[in-house]
Amino acid sequence: MTSVERAYVVSLTIPDNEAYTALTTLVRIGLPVDRAVRADVWIVTLDPARAGAVDAAVPTFEGMFNPNKHRLEIRADAAPRAGEVWIMPRDERPAITIGGRMIEGVHGVRRCTAWRLLDAHGADVPPALLERATEMFLCNPAFQEAIS
Amino acid sequence: MSARVAVVVFPGTNSEDETLRALAAAGLDAEIVHWSRGAAGLRPFDAYVLPGGFSYEDRVRAGAVAAHDEAMDAVIEGAQRGKYVLGICNGAQTLLEAGLVPGTGPLRRPTAAFAPNASGKFQSQHVYVRLNVSPGRMPMLASLPPRCVIPAWASHGEGRLAATEAELDRLQADGHIAFVYCNAHGDDVPAPNGSARGAAALTNAAGNVLAIMPHPERSERAVYAPSGGVVFFAAFAAALAAAVRA
Repeated sequence: MTSVERAYVVSLTIPDNEAYTALTTLVRIGLPVDRAVRADVWIVTLDPARAGAVDAAVPTFEGMFNPNKHRLEIRADAAPRAGEVWIMPRDERPAITIGGRMIEGVHGVRRCTAWRLLDAHGADVPPALLERATEMFLCNPAFQEAIS
Repeated sequence: MSARVAVVVFPGTNSEDETLRALAAAGLDAEIVHWSRGAAGLRPFDAYVLPGGFSYEDRVRAGAVAAHDEAMDAVIEGAQRGKYVLGICNGAQTLLEAGLVPGTGPLRRPTAAFAPNASGKFQSQHVYVRLNVSPGRMPMLASLPPRCVIPAWASHGEGRLAATEAELDRLQADGHIAFVYCNAHGDDVPAPNGSARGAAALTNAAGNVLAIMPHPERSERAVYAPSGGVVFFAAFAAALAAAVRA
């Protein structure tokens, strides 16, 4: 059975309190970060012939995406972009539903959180600083892994 | 002089009242102390209890933000000086995130976690936990009888002990797994949340810090369980009294 992975990346367009709390903690532990940006990521393994149908269905799942407060980005590859780190549970079994719905052609769904950290100029912080923030706070390696 | 216990409340803590009641019923001089009093406001206390709830709404990870709060500096310093620290449920998660328990790595660099339950769901149910180490291993509960069974209420979405296999072996070999899930007779049962090694609670090397997931304070009243968590808090009070006398 052939399958491909796609990422559905959902971020808030309204203020993100969780990201702000994370920023406050990062600053408290002494890291020079000006803004934290967070997104929920659904990594979906699916039948390539059904990709279009899944792409069309996902924006209608209100438990996952609300156009009044979310932005949805569909990525044809399930990998972090430059400047991003994905924090993923190590040992979670993939789900078979996405946004609480079962869709034909979807074989597995994993969730993770994407973080970007920005400096005062709105640019991504250097990779070493992102790595330090990940080690010190964003990831608990006892049950999570960081992918960048 | 009686021991003064701080019940440390972060934004989102929600079990401080019943925790305070359980401590008072055991004869302890306990008081609710909000995080906003900071480390300076916490330092004068003889012991700390971190109750359950959802500190900082579980943002980032359960207990992660509270673990880095400035107020926790006093709890960490106190633990390092031998003060007794008890974390229940979210308080337990916070102690693991702070690296105080099991304490096998640097501070605030966790080597273990109470991770999401294997069911993927929040679970709320009555459980029994059994003392899994010799009472002398944990001075803060030294008067408990060996293999003491404590009724408690498990109420969490993230209570599954997770760590590398090597770390789990180490925790087991070095007596860090303080309580395990059991039945009313003290026999082992599978952990309802899928916790590794059946662990319900972890302690540090010195045995002065305990992170327990199920709530003994919610079994403190007879309405929840006939013997309740009274035994648990009585042992804590006795240990504190002895520590203050010393």
